[in-house]
Amino acid sequence: MRIFIILTLVVFLSPMAYADAYCSLRDPVAQIKQLYPQKTNQLSIVKTVDARIRNLVKLSLPSNDLHFSELGQHTLYVAMKNTEVLGYVHVRSEQSKWGLVEIIWALDKNLQIKDFTFQRCRSPKKKVINNKDFKNVFIGKNFEELKTLLSSDGITANNMLLDKAEDASELASVVLRCALKTLLITDILWGEELKKFNL
Amino acid sequence: MGKVKVLWSTTMRFFATIIMLISVPSYGDFSDNLRVSLDGSARLNKNMAANHTSRIYALGLDTHKVFTSANGDIGYLVGQLYLTKLSNQTPFSSLFNSPDDKQYVIREAHLNYTSGPEWLPNIRVGHFTIPFGLEASIDTNGRLLDYYHGKNLGTKLDWGLGFNKVLSHVEYEFSYTMGGKNEPKKINNSYIFSGRIGSLSHHDFIIGLSFIDARIDNIQRKRIAIDWQYYWHTWGFLGEVAFGKDDKFQKEWQEETYSLLELHKTSLNEQFKFYGQYIFTNREGESKNQQLINVGVSYQIDAKLELSLSSRKQVNTPESGKKQDLFRLQLRYRY
Repeated sequence: MRIFIILTLVVFLSPMAYADAYCSLRDPVAQIKQLYPQKTNQLSIVKTVDARIRNLVKLSLPSNDLHFSELGQHTLYVAMKNTEVLGYVHVRSEQSKWGLVEIIWALDKNLQIKDFTFQRCRSPKKKVINNKDFKNVFIGKNFEELKTLLSSDGITANNMLLDKAEDASELASVVLRCALKTLLITDILWGEELKKFNL
Repeated sequence: MGKVKVLWSTTMRFFATIIMLISVPSYGDFSDNLRVSLDGSARLNKNMAANHTSRIYALGLDTHKVFTSANGDIGYLVGQLYLTKLSNQTPFSSLFNSPDDKQYVIREAHLNYTSGPEWLPNIRVGHFTIPFGLEASIDTNGRLLDYYHGKNLGTKLDWGLGFNKVLSHVEYEFSYTMGGKNEPKKINNSYIFSGRIGSLSHHDFIIGLSFIDARIDNIQRKRIAIDWQYYWHTWGFLGEVAFGKDDKFQKEWQEETYSLLELHKTSLNEQFKFYGQYIFTNREGESKNQQLINVGVSYQIDAKLELSLSSRKQVNTPESGKKQDLFRLQLRYRY
């Protein structure tokens, strides 16, 4: 019985203890290579997305919230070529009409979108990701620039993005919301620590 | 009694080390990239056929630690240690000594070295799930959902060495383990040699081929299997078909065919999941095959609390005349 009490106290009092997070790379070694073909290794940095972060997301992106599986400990991967930092990789999930969509985001050192790919997407419209015009809307943009693509409801994309999304308007909005949350959370949670890689 | 003392002392040392490493600031390097969850569950089993009720309680730590150096990640460690208490549980697993026993049970406990050169597979050492069939890519530890590794192969987890890698179009895992199940040792020349090669496990359609050659509990087993997973919208259609033979008495091989089909449906936000399974087993030497149906539902009440229910019914009447009819309920809390 004592061990039950000790375990309970230790874990409940530990700031690191948290429920499992769903969104992570299935295999970082192989999947980061897709986005950074020249990478030789990756460095993981685990941080906790908690209620404070959730509130900051709500404040910066009104009408948006984090899915319950988005709370918990998440990993940002630093893609490396030997000791040189190439950029960052982060996975986030977003709810859609076809279930959860998991997107792997590659960010450059200035926290702008470099590239992205679906880890999981059950929508029949997922081939929109192969449309260069659609992808180019995101590439090179930071949080503030991407935020201008949101329509006034704060949830759906406006015509600047939808014009490039063919008939995948719902998925385009999902990708946009996911990009915004990724950039925002990366900056809030990891921003300070990542500054050392920009020296 | 001596064995119990050794296990108790090992467990205490394990916990003391973890507690120190987590709580003392000077060990900050170890706590970096460390995930710790407290995982507690209470399970009620109602065997309708035998009019018997039992309960299983588990409380443990589920840890995941990524080891890094200045040049990047070296590998990761998974450690799951649970204090498990039975209450009126019959039949009980070989890990326990009585229907009301309590034991420390190690689930996953392994280190996967991932930073070798590109041509070198990752190297896994420790106590891990046997790479075979559906169970290899779907974690069922602590859940009512099951793909019956333990029943079909003699054990779900074992101590040993494995090689794994995800390539551009396929992933594989091969392992050689000692066959001691929860204990890191060979018992009566036990061993398990198994492997699975399959398409990438995050795709909508996944197919895998597996084999196993094992000797556990003095039973020799050989199997090959094909498994698949197909996901569309919020539906999943999964299956596993295995062919092989068992030699229980060291004199005569008996052929066995096993198949499992599963259809499941999740809600859009994945809080709710419903599944149904059909399991068919045919063993040479037995006059009747075995057909089972499992239905289950799980509801993730919030990020920490999950309620699951499942029911298992036997379709055909076995030789014993008693059909399986089991209802289970589980409440699980992860913090």
